[in-house]
Amino acid sequence: MATVKVQSARQSNTVAGAVVLQTHDLTVSYGTARAVQDVSIDIQSARITAIIGPSGCGKSTLLRCFNRMNDLIPSAKVQGSVTYHGWNLYEPGVDPVEVRRRIGMVFQKPNPFPKSIHENIAFGLRVHGITGDLDDRVETALRRVALWDEVKQNLRKSALALSGGQQQRLCIARAIAVEPDVILMDEPCSALDPIATARIEDLMRELQSDYSIVIVTHNMQQAARVSDMTAFLTAEVDEERGTRTGVLVEYDRTEKIFTNPGDPRTEAYITGRFG
Amino acid sequence: MTDVRHHFHEELRLTEAHVQSMGAAARDLLSKAMRALVADDAGLCDLTIAADDVVDEYYLRTEQRILNLFALQTPVASDLRLLTVLLHVNIHLERVGDMGVNIAKLAKLVTGLPRSPTVVAHLEEMGGIAIRMVEAAMDAFARRDLELAYSLPRMDEPIDRLNRGMLDEVLRGADDRRLLEWGIRMSMVSRQIERTGDHAVDIAEQVAFLATGEFREFGDASHPEIGIRGIE
Repeated sequence: MATVKVQSARQSNTVAGAVVLQTHDLTVSYGTARAVQDVSIDIQSARITAIIGPSGCGKSTLLRCFNRMNDLIPSAKVQGSVTYHGWNLYEPGVDPVEVRRRIGMVFQKPNPFPKSIHENIAFGLRVHGITGDLDDRVETALRRVALWDEVKQNLRKSALALSGGQQQRLCIARAIAVEPDVILMDEPCSALDPIATARIEDLMRELQSDYSIVIVTHNMQQAARVSDMTAFLTAEVDEERGTRTGVLVEYDRTEKIFTNPGDPRTEAYITGRFG
Repeated sequence: MTDVRHHFHEELRLTEAHVQSMGAAARDLLSKAMRALVADDAGLCDLTIAADDVVDEYYLRTEQRILNLFALQTPVASDLRLLTVLLHVNIHLERVGDMGVNIAKLAKLVTGLPRSPTVVAHLEEMGGIAIRMVEAAMDAFARRDLELAYSLPRMDEPIDRLNRGMLDEVLRGADDRRLLEWGIRMSMVSRQIERTGDHAVDIAEQVAFLATGEFREFGDASHPEIGIRGIE
C-alpha cells in the first residue's frame, strides 16, 4: 500500500483461522438510507466465509466494504472500521488500488476483458507494475484454476470465446495472478450451470489453503457445501420511512448454522418459515 | 407465519404422523405378545407374529419417505434434525416390533409346560413398564417434551433390576427339567423386554437431540458416570 506497510500477503496468510479482515460497528449508507448497520465480524485467514441472507439485506454492500469498492458509489458513506491485518483500510492515504490487489474480487457475471486469454491475466499484472516474464505467471495462474489444459493451445484467442464457466475461472485466475491475500466473490456461480458451478466450488476448496475467501451467495446449499464459516444477515424494515437496513444476525461455523442455528431468525430463514 | 416451503413441511409433518402411527402399532404388538405370554395362548401368539407385517410395512414406507425428503428437499436446521430423528425412531420401532415377535415365538414354544407364577408376574411387570416406556418416548417425541424424555432411564431401572434377578428365579426350578426348559425360554423373554426398554430410551435420546441440537447418550447401568440434566 502507498502509505501503510503491511506484511506480505503470502506470509500473513499462513496461519489458518487468524483474523485477516475485521469490521467493527460498520454502518454503510447510500445517501440517507442505511444499507447495513453496526456489523462487527472477523473474517478468518485460509477459510471460506459465506455471507447469506434475503435480497436487500446488505450482503454485497458488506462484501464491497472489504476492498473499498463502495468508494466507486458517490453517495456511499462508510462509518465504523474495516481493518485488514489490523490496518484501517479507510485511513487517509491508503491506496484503494493496492487494497484491491491484496483483496481481489470476482463478480456475479464473468467479466473478462475483450482481449486474449493471455492478455486478460497479463494486463492486470502490468497495471500493478509487475514486469518480467509474464508468461510464467500467466501459466501459473491458469494452472491454479485448472484452466491451463483447456486453453494452453489458444492463449491468443479471445477470452470471450470461452464458456461461461471457463470465463469465470479465467476471472479467478486474473484475480489470483496479482497474488492477493483475500478473494471476494459476489454470487460467482449464479450465471453458471451446475457442472460449471461444481468446478468453481471445487476450485474454491483448492484455493482455500492459500487464500481467504469471502463469498456472497443466494444459494444456501452452496454456502453449506463450500464454506467453513457462515454469516447470516437480514433486513430490518422501517415501514414509516420505507427503508430496509441490513443487520448481522448470526455468525458461526457453517455446520452449526445449518444443523442447529442459535438465532430463531436464522432458523426461520434457512428453513423457509417466516413471520 | 409465511411458509415458503409449505409442500416440504407438510410432507415432513405427514411422515412424522406416520411414525407416530407406527409407534402405536409396535406398542400394540408388544402388548399382544405379553398378553399371549401371560395367558399361555398359542392362538394369540400367532396373531402377534402376523401383526409384525403391519409394523414392517410402516417401516419400509417411512424409510422411503425419509429417503425422498433427503434427496429432494435438502433439509437444514430443525428440519434436518427431525428427519434424522425420524430415521432413528423408525429403526427403533421396527426393532420393538421384532422384540414383540420374539416374545410371541418364545411363548408359543413353551405352551403347556409347567411355569413359575413368580416369573410370570415379574415378566408381566417388566412388559407393562416396557410398553409404558415406548408410549412415553413417543409421547415425548410428539410434544417435544424434554423433561419426559429425560425421565425414560429412570423408568427403565425396574426392568433392569428384574432382568438381573431372572436367572435366580429360573434356577429355582432346576430340578424339574420341563420347568427349567420353560424358565430358560422365559429368561430369553426377559432379555427381549429389557432390550425393548433400551430402544425406548434410545428414542428419548433422539427427542432430546431434536429439542436441543446436541446429541448425548443418556446414562445407563454401563455408563453411570454420564449424567442427564434434570435427573442427576
